[in-house]
Amino acid sequence: MAEGKKKILLVDDNLFLLGLLAKAFEHEGFTAFEAASAEHALLLLEKERPEIILSDYEMPGMDGFAFRKHLLGNATTKNIPFVFLTAHNNTELVMEGLDELMAVDFIDKGTPVQVIVAKIDNLLSTVREKQALSLLELRKAAEAINVKSVPAKTPTINGFEIDFWHKPYQGYPGGDFIDFIRIGTRYTCVVLGDVMGKKWTAWFFTFSFLSYIRAAVRFCVSSGEYDPAVILQKTNQVVCEDEALVDVLSSLSLILVDEQTGHLAYAGAGDLPLLYFNSAEGVLTSIKTSGLLLGLFSSAKYDATSITLQKNDQILIFSDGLIESVAADRHTSNYGLFKENICPFLRHKNGFAAVKDHLSQTFTDATQADDCSIISIIKK
Amino acid sequence: MILENKKVGHILEATILITEANLTNAEQFKQEMFDLINKGNQHISLNFVRVTYIDSSFLGAMVSSLKHALGKGAEIYLTDLKKDIIDLLRLIRVDKVFKIYERINDITGA
Repeated sequence: MAEGKKKILLVDDNLFLLGLLAKAFEHEGFTAFEAASAEHALLLLEKERPEIILSDYEMPGMDGFAFRKHLLGNATTKNIPFVFLTAHNNTELVMEGLDELMAVDFIDKGTPVQVIVAKIDNLLSTVREKQALSLLELRKAAEAINVKSVPAKTPTINGFEIDFWHKPYQGYPGGDFIDFIRIGTRYTCVVLGDVMGKKWTAWFFTFSFLSYIRAAVRFCVSSGEYDPAVILQKTNQVVCEDEALVDVLSSLSLILVDEQTGHLAYAGAGDLPLLYFNSAEGVLTSIKTSGLLLGLFSSAKYDATSITLQKNDQILIFSDGLIESVAADRHTSNYGLFKENICPFLRHKNGFAAVKDHLSQTFTDATQADDCSIISIIKK
Repeated sequence: MILENKKVGHILEATILITEANLTNAEQFKQEMFDLINKGNQHISLNFVRVTYIDSSFLGAMVSSLKHALGKGAEIYLTDLKKDIIDLLRLIRVDKVFKIYERINDITGA
């Protein structure tokens, strides 16, 4: 849940009262957005996402009720708690606002400003507590049915050292998923995917993808096909056929590790190019594949790349959260910069431990923009 | 409204009015795009001149819109993209499914 500075949108055509309220809320640590009309408020809402809206009822042009109706019709604004500020104490009007328009409360305009601020502050605390409780309940439910989109521990693969780091966005389980699928005594399939979207909605679909990938692996193995490109192709076909996954897309990096030969086979679906660290030369390079996102087109083709590692060479596959960051409220995405930043850590002994420390320090709740996941494969 | 629409010849140019295209506006964007497609617009050019950042949720909404458009025989073009955004689209191969042009006037075959 987003903590930090509380944001409120104030809407009132009385500029004096608007300024007074904004000052009072800012004094209490809020960021206050001011709009002198409902029309102006709608424009502001295209760019800003307040946690609560306090709006006058009687305004020239679009009145408070019409404004509220407009917000209810919009998927991105309908759930923002809404409070009417009005001189009206007509019971019928109040009931219409509370029942039909799902306003959280009415506050009389005659209420002292400090009391209005205190009321809104309490209301927002209650909303935040309710959100935290819902999150806790969902977490408990997920734990109770033992569903995990990220494994609890790393697998043991002869001749390789596998490790990973994962940090969900704002503490919510999200769209990133990791799996290590053991195939007989010779192969392990290393899986990193990212269902597009964030938080619970994306998290919910990770299990469909994980199941389909596991099924595709078993299906391919049973017919003697140890090819990650074929596994991707089969997974994509099923995903595209599944009506429950219409409009759900996922990236996927899939590496088949062969313990016997020491070779890796890599195939990707709309994933970021993986990174290959040549230990002897201390050089980090990207390896690209051509596969499209899973769920895009059932006819999509995938290709596999064979990778041979020398001792201490390393492969890194990662989700897009690692190349995104937030600074001064602005988001940026830069693959090259991420590559540049982690390269020096890889040159050290225990390089991935240093990378994990670096990432833990870099991706805080304030700077993280999405789920972050990275898997490291080192040849011993 | 996230999109500001105007006709340029027989192309409908939809300018994205937000700077950060992310989870908070992805659903609204998808709704507006589906509306434009359902109204029978066959050539929609999305203008990204104001957009400085796209997250995966918004990208998902763009791709869903494209799939919907293709199902209706319509085309979606992307124009005026910032370098960072083009780089991201190329990295994850989404540039292979969208028709990307520098400016709307460069669109050919529409």
